Amino acid sequence: MDTSIRLLLVLCLLHAARAVDQSNFKTCDQSSFCRRLRATKPEERSYELNLSNLQISDNAVEIELLNKIDDVSLKFVLTALADNTFRVFVDEIKPLYPRYQVEGSLNGEPQVARLELLDRNNEEIVVKSGENKVIIKAAPFKIEFYSGAKLSAVLNGRGLFTFEHLRNKKPSGDGETDLGDQAPQESEDPGMWSENFKSHHDRKPRGPEAIGFDFTFPEAHRAYGLPEHADRMALRTTTSGGSNPYRLYNLDVFEYELDVTMAIYGAVPVLYAHSPSHTVGVFWNNAAEMWVDITNSKDGNVVSSLVSLVSGQKQEMHVDAHFMSESGVVDLFVFLGPTMQKAVQQYTKLTGSAPIPQYFSLAYHQSRWNYNDEDDVRTVVEKFDEHNFPLDVMWLDIEYTDGKKYFTWDPIKFKHPETMQLNLTATGRKLVVIIDPHIKREGGYFLHEESLSNDYYVKNKDKNVYEGWCWPGSSSYLDFFDPKVREYYSGLYALDKFVGTTKDVYIWNDMNEPSVFNGPEVTMPKDCLHYGDWEHRHVHNVYGLYHTVGTFEGLLKRSGNKLRPFVLTRAHFAGSQRYTAVWTGDNAAEWSHLAYSIPMCLSEALGGISFCGADVGGFFKNPDEELLQRWYQTGAWLPFYRAHAHIDTKRREPYLYNSDVQNRIRNALRQRYAHLPVWYTLFHEHEETGEPVIRPLVYHYPSDLNVFDIDNQLLVGSSIMVRPVTESRASSVSVYFPGGPNEIWYDVEDFKPFRGTGSINIPVSMDKVPVYYRGGSIIPRKDRPRRASTLTHDDPFTLYVALDDNKSAKGTLYIDDNESYDYKNNLYIYIKFTYKDGVLSSSLIDDARFSTSAWIERVVIINPPSGIKHATLKSKKLGTTKLQTTYDGENRSLTIRKPGVSVMDPFTITLQ
Amino acid sequence: MRRQLLTINLNHYIFIILIVICQILTSEVPRPRGVSLSRASLYNPEKDFMCFDGSLTIPFSQINDDYCDCLDGSDEPGTSACPNGIFYCTNAGHTPLNLDSSRVNDGVCDCCDGSDEYLNMHLKCTNNCFELGQTAREERQRQAELLKIGSQIRLEFSQKGIQLKQEKKEKLNDLQKQQTEAEYLLNEKEGFKKEAEELEGKFLEHYKKIEEEERKKKEEEELERSRPEMIETFNKYDSNQDGFVDISELQSRATFDRDRNGEVSEDEAKFFLNEETSVDLETFIKSCWVRIKPFLMIEAGTFKPPAGDNGEADQEQTADATEPEHEEVEDLNEKEHPDIDGEDEEEEEEEEPQEEVKPVSANSSPKYDEETQKVVDAANDARKEYYSAKDTVNNIKSEIKDIERYLEIDFGSDDEYAILEGSSFEYTDHEYIYKLYPFNKIIQQPKSSSLETHLGTWSDWIGTQDKYSIMHYTNGHSCWNGPQRSTKVYVTCGSENKVTSVSEPSKCEYQFDFTTPAACKEQTNDSENDVHDEL
Repeated sequence: MDTSIRLLLVLCLLHAARAVDQSNFKTCDQSSFCRRLRATKPEERSYELNLSNLQISDNAVEIELLNKIDDVSLKFVLTALADNTFRVFVDEIKPLYPRYQVEGSLNGEPQVARLELLDRNNEEIVVKSGENKVIIKAAPFKIEFYSGAKLSAVLNGRGLFTFEHLRNKKPSGDGETDLGDQAPQESEDPGMWSENFKSHHDRKPRGPEAIGFDFTFPEAHRAYGLPEHADRMALRTTTSGGSNPYRLYNLDVFEYELDVTMAIYGAVPVLYAHSPSHTVGVFWNNAAEMWVDITNSKDGNVVSSLVSLVSGQKQEMHVDAHFMSESGVVDLFVFLGPTMQKAVQQYTKLTGSAPIPQYFSLAYHQSRWNYNDEDDVRTVVEKFDEHNFPLDVMWLDIEYTDGKKYFTWDPIKFKHPETMQLNLTATGRKLVVIIDPHIKREGGYFLHEESLSNDYYVKNKDKNVYEGWCWPGSSSYLDFFDPKVREYYSGLYALDKFVGTTKDVYIWNDMNEPSVFNGPEVTMPKDCLHYGDWEHRHVHNVYGLYHTVGTFEGLLKRSGNKLRPFVLTRAHFAGSQRYTAVWTGDNAAEWSHLAYSIPMCLSEALGGISFCGADVGGFFKNPDEELLQRWYQTGAWLPFYRAHAHIDTKRREPYLYNSDVQNRIRNALRQRYAHLPVWYTLFHEHEETGEPVIRPLVYHYPSDLNVFDIDNQLLVGSSIMVRPVTESRASSVSVYFPGGPNEIWYDVEDFKPFRGTGSINIPVSMDKVPVYYRGGSIIPRKDRPRRASTLTHDDPFTLYVALDDNKSAKGTLYIDDNESYDYKNNLYIYIKFTYKDGVLSSSLIDDARFSTSAWIERVVIINPPSGIKHATLKSKKLGTTKLQTTYDGENRSLTIRKPGVSVMDPFTITLQ
Repeated sequence: MRRQLLTINLNHYIFIILIVICQILTSEVPRPRGVSLSRASLYNPEKDFMCFDGSLTIPFSQINDDYCDCLDGSDEPGTSACPNGIFYCTNAGHTPLNLDSSRVNDGVCDCCDGSDEYLNMHLKCTNNCFELGQTAREERQRQAELLKIGSQIRLEFSQKGIQLKQEKKEKLNDLQKQQTEAEYLLNEKEGFKKEAEELEGKFLEHYKKIEEEERKKKEEEELERSRPEMIETFNKYDSNQDGFVDISELQSRATFDRDRNGEVSEDEAKFFLNEETSVDLETFIKSCWVRIKPFLMIEAGTFKPPAGDNGEADQEQTADATEPEHEEVEDLNEKEHPDIDGEDEEEEEEEEPQEEVKPVSANSSPKYDEETQKVVDAANDARKEYYSAKDTVNNIKSEIKDIERYLEIDFGSDDEYAILEGSSFEYTDHEYIYKLYPFNKIIQQPKSSSLETHLGTWSDWIGTQDKYSIMHYTNGHSCWNGPQRSTKVYVTCGSENKVTSVSEPSKCEYQFDFTTPAACKEQTNDSENDVHDEL
């Protein structure tokens, strides 16, 4: 048999197996360090702080931490940071080799805060920063974090702290055999010095270097976070029932399953422990393979519940977490909140918020693997226009390239890419094309040849260029950890380098876990070598982040640092939000996947990554009409709104359906477009404050026990609540109205009010999506339909003023040029609207200015006072004007006709 | 834009003059922006304005004030204020356009006269109506001419189609007559055959008995002859000499490893023991020997089994036979008269080697006495004639079937597409050659090989507005991981029959564009009226 054919056959088999087989991915038991660390026995605890060897500065305390069994000295540092945050750092004092410390995740050097020594004796020292106190106990080694007087988190409370020091391999009995699976020495786990998984061998030249520690969160009812998992938002107990810990290891999982703790494309190692009174966050800045065991006392065994019942003691709620990582150092951040809102902001401030994206990127994106050629692209856009579906961005998947060679165009199907883009931009549209990190190994391909001759590729364990298999066939992978490579790579996006692109082309980075079809667990072998001699195992989870940094910088440079880049990525890590949007990868056209798009994106949002969405319609398989409509309705309320489909699926562009279906999809799209000012304002506020754009109910209603597990409902900002219909043939859905009897929620269609007193069954037709405005908020909308969002910038606003019990409301609106960084030079307006005592007024919040022709065309007061005859507008430029008012349907709202005032011009409108 | 392409059957110069006159007229009637001439009277500045739907009456000053008062959008014909408004652009020199209000003042010049963009100071829409109109008129003229020529050809196609169909119908009539005659003849021949065979049967009864006896005798002799070998074999196998051969005794002999997997399984052994666990000598001789003997021969190299075992071979034959009923019933006759059935000649040849194995054979005839021989010959002749008559009937039937199938095909309202049946049209792109066989099938073939992929078999016309605008070919080869291939052929008017493009919008769902004069049907009057309305 021809060897190449044989190879192909093997690959086909691999592929076929990949389609169905969960066993292609490791369980904790199959991962040597997870197996070792999960079996840590607290009674063998051997770590003690040497309080006699201690240094205290204004911000930090440094103490020697001793591993008494192995006689290894570690360095323990506790640093006080601004915003109720502490950093805990542990590394070997004299490691055999340097240990990897992640850099790319943090948004610069964290700002330190003052640390005061309160007490010091032989057993412990007590320090204080702001309102928070930390007690550092020497033996057993234990750190207690107090928020005010409340004990919020305990590090190593269970004594699971482990720090495997680097060591030379002890010569085994029969000499130099490297088979670590054999002859374990005493307590040594097989696989410490080499490991096999399926047909793959991991050489592990540095041997064991794992780290683990536990956290106890007293009083916590739930834990959230640790994206990305195809699971519910509240983290489950993983220490019983044969479950695996939550795994964080960026992987291309073909047809991923739901309700599992398996790793998928992204890893954001931040966790929030929440109690009705406070929230604590923990972020472990570590890029190696990581597993996290969660134990929630509410899932505890029957015996302990009985004991507490008999003893009459109310069992104290708490959550335990056990973090385990294959390598690196302990670089840990503890966010003491005290609220969830604060804890999330503290985390986001540390890793950076997302810069406000270009306006168009919040609008609707149309993608498919693949739009076949230029004609196809043109026709799809024409059809969208013909049927009046708004559309901002067309996407091209891998088939646009010349034989999967990125930065090239198929010479036949995409012969005139610039003309194609001109056609798109003529109606305000943009183009996004895919660029993956694997490079086709083909002679004559400039990128391959330049990468080879400049030594830009990742190396295998023998220091030769690593060769893996991906879309183009045999491929090598750029080593984005090398600053030279990132510099080179970002240069590839220059308009004269990526010939055929214009400034209106943006980028989609896929397959950057990295995906390697023939690699272990469909990724790169851990003993591959990167820049700085780091093994792939040390840096795996940040590979995708560095890839997108290269792309982001490329787009930035391309426009002379003027235009905000738009990049979508699949692999991501803490900090990715500074560069990219993410989507939930290759989901399926199933109701369950539609439902899970909400908790998956909510978890990402808590992990700092708000710009998240799922493929509308589902990537694999064909959605039926009902599912497709519900998906458009749901996707309209997630930040990233893109339809995408696998190459084997039927076409599903909205114009292909009957007029009923078309109307519903058009309504969903128009609702999205009408609310774009809200989304844009929220992204501005996210950049400023770090508050997520979409939020779970628990974020704003932290003490309401009923909302702790609600993840089929979400808040857009604090003013809009959505309960997307994700059930097939639903005639009604249960909606939870939070906030108590004084909170009012108004249905956005008929303004029917609901009090915040719990669950109500809401009837839903196919046209209905339960969406509510919170009483007390002012929602600025652009209600005029346009074919693209970029054509709406001069259009007027309608203000929806939803009154609360005190007949008052407030809201904000942010406006800038929608695309550039000029806002950083104070070229924007940020408007505050308030309504109180029958007067609506606007004012500019910051000392910034921006010129826009947008104006106020209508004000709708929801739940208005009765007896209003007319209104009077007063503004600097318009003087005093009388305005008509009309009560609408059942007097639930009052419309003020055409104030006509520019949004730049502060005004008051008085109801009379 | 669609409307520009509508073709009308008017002298186009007169038409242009008409347009120009109309436009001069329209531009002189004062009316709000975005209102067509035909609706101008509905907007009277002297009066309050009532929304078209009657829902509200507003002062005329609120017309086009960039605020939507009417639910039906009628108060804002010239702005984008109403989501459902219509903006009319006059497009002097070209065709007027009813534009969706969402296109008004959105920064994109949609009307060729630029009238939809009047707010944006930086945006200058050039009025290119005349150029566009000129092109459109030329295009319209081209289309009209094409239609004219095309519809002429279509008429010819249609005539030919009707003629073809008529010929087929006549042929069908003819065949049906022939069929009646042939069936009558067949009946007659069947009668003769029956008679002759009955007689033959009587005569042969005597010989059959003799044959039967001879066969039995032969078998017994054979048995007698082999008995020593059988006993010897039995004793050889009965290794413990208990007078029985059992499974374990056979399991030690490689001869019986039928699947050649290196060991004789219990099932394998049992097979040779006639599904018993042990057998005595007589059972061995009676039931087991026939199973064992061939394997001994194979071992000795004296016997070569036919490919596969007998059971399989038999099955294959039945499956292969075109008319199994016929074959089983008349099996005996066939064996004796191998030359008669011409239809199955090929099969006959395949069976030859087996025939040698079977003792009953046709060349035993010489032993008949003269009278019997005559009867047998007569019967042979009768059979020969019967089968020949039957062939004739079958041939006619299949011809009728073909024509009936043809006549069922929908060749268009005037049979204008009939002429395409039987031809093929190729299209070559950079990778493949596509072949369209109208009303039959579609084939895709890579340029570099002859490996054909079937993209669908003729199914039906599936156009929605005009049924005859889309041909559908379904049930092509299945895709890996996908559906069966299918193709839609979009048919439009053209001066020649030609595939103009091929694409694959969804995986394994192909789309052809095909032009043909057959599609050049002159428009009905409805669409002309549309255009006039807009003037």
